[in-house]
Amino acid sequence: MAMFKADGKFAVLIAYFKIILTYRAMMLIHAIRLLLLPLVLASAWLSIEKTASNPYSDSDYLLYYLLVPVIMNLTDSRVVFKFSQAVKDGSLNRELLKPFPPLMSYLLESLANNALQLLYLVPFTLVFWLFVRDRVLLGHLKPSLLLFFVVAIIIGTLARLVVSGSIALLSFWIEDVTTLNLILNGGIWALLGGMIVPVATFPENIRHIAELLPYRYMLSFPIEIFSGRLSNSEIYIGFATATFWIILFAIIMHIIWKSGLKTYTAYGG
Amino acid sequence: MRQASIILHLWKATIIQSMEYRASFVFAIIANFFDFIFGLLQYLVFFTAAKSIAGWDSDQMLVLYGVFMLVFALHFILLYPNLVAMGDMVNSGNLDLLLTKPINAQLVVSFKRISLEELGSIGTAALLLGWQFYRGIIVADLGNFLLFGVGIITSLLLIYCMFLLLICLAVLMERLDNMSQLLWSFFSLARYPVEIYPNRIRYVFMSFFPVAFIATIPASALLGRASSVTVWSGFALAIVGVVGCSWLWRCTIKSYTSAGG
Repeated sequence: MAMFKADGKFAVLIAYFKIILTYRAMMLIHAIRLLLLPLVLASAWLSIEKTASNPYSDSDYLLYYLLVPVIMNLTDSRVVFKFSQAVKDGSLNRELLKPFPPLMSYLLESLANNALQLLYLVPFTLVFWLFVRDRVLLGHLKPSLLLFFVVAIIIGTLARLVVSGSIALLSFWIEDVTTLNLILNGGIWALLGGMIVPVATFPENIRHIAELLPYRYMLSFPIEIFSGRLSNSEIYIGFATATFWIILFAIIMHIIWKSGLKTYTAYGG
Repeated sequence: MRQASIILHLWKATIIQSMEYRASFVFAIIANFFDFIFGLLQYLVFFTAAKSIAGWDSDQMLVLYGVFMLVFALHFILLYPNLVAMGDMVNSGNLDLLLTKPINAQLVVSFKRISLEELGSIGTAALLLGWQFYRGIIVADLGNFLLFGVGIITSLLLIYCMFLLLICLAVLMERLDNMSQLLWSFFSLARYPVEIYPNRIRYVFMSFFPVAFIATIPASALLGRASSVTVWSGFALAIVGVVGCSWLWRCTIKSYTSAGG
């Protein structure tokens, strides 16, 4: 505990938990946003006529969209909106003055927010699973697979964080980064990350592109591991690819932060 | 007539206002354009792994998307800016000011502002539908077009009901940000044909919570797949809905106590 008290990170995390809890109505709206679209997509996939090359069965689709809200939430990061707001209204100045790594507070807020969503996401997923449990096959689950699953979620969170972070930091120069975010982080993520279509069911050529890009590792990859459809070597290759992207974007983020701070003139006063 | 001219003046004012921020106006148009393109890509990607969804093949799904985007864009132009404004009005107390004015408050609250950012989407949606017409997916049939017109009106009326319910909620809860997000979430239910849902849910979507009439029924009508009984009963439902929701709005305003109460 002494370690946490010394630099106050733990206290800040607790504070963010409290702040988020005051906006319960917002949480409800967020919950609807998180749960509705995966449910719609699951219904859509369960009523399709499959193409011949599609390897997924109904059970696969159910398991996939059962996990989508949880993974989507755990890897989510609101840093783009929070940071560009802070640059615009000048509240970044306060962050810079604190004896605390300035970007750390955005990270901690994100963590607190995502952890709180689990309060309803986990029970909801379990209840939903109870309804469809005879249609979802889980016999293949092993401890090692669960370990890979957890590691993949952490890697996915980091990947999303550094990609969103890099876009967010462009707020130093660009007034409105939300359009850029919509394209790079929202649109392509939904298409190639596995939101609309599970990456494993893409035709060969699109799948290869999706596996090379960082987006798959933010959503589809942990679920693919959980479903037991990946071999160990495929999992390791995935980890390596994602780690490469994380390091690359971390370096980009660092460079942008350094040069951005020099141009930042704080128009909030 | 007087009411209409007041609304027209208000619209003119909001357009002049949005032209003050030309750069962000252009940005918004670009963002909306990408939104449309990504929506379109979603269906194209979807059909790499599926041959058809609940009996709708990819061409018919594009018609559904065109209709969906048409309705969505119309809601965005007419209702969305007012929904945003309502949240502020309740928070800042400007609603009190409006209620004292000698004009129908519901009318002003509903149509005070207009946003032209989605005009591009209407154009693109119309282009998409026109292309499907050219390819013969949509057959030229006056009866179908008539039913489609009724379907679109029904759809807009139902969205207006949803809008009225949300602003009532805003008045009652005094603080409700991001109501538009809530509305958009419900729109995502209408992105795919209602035939994908299990029977019981589909029944709800055809009656108490008429999601089916937002996009599926108008698109079916355009494709000649909807029975006129369904379309007209939806229309009747929408009329009842608007009357009911207007009544709810009046009740809400009666019980509204402002910040001082």
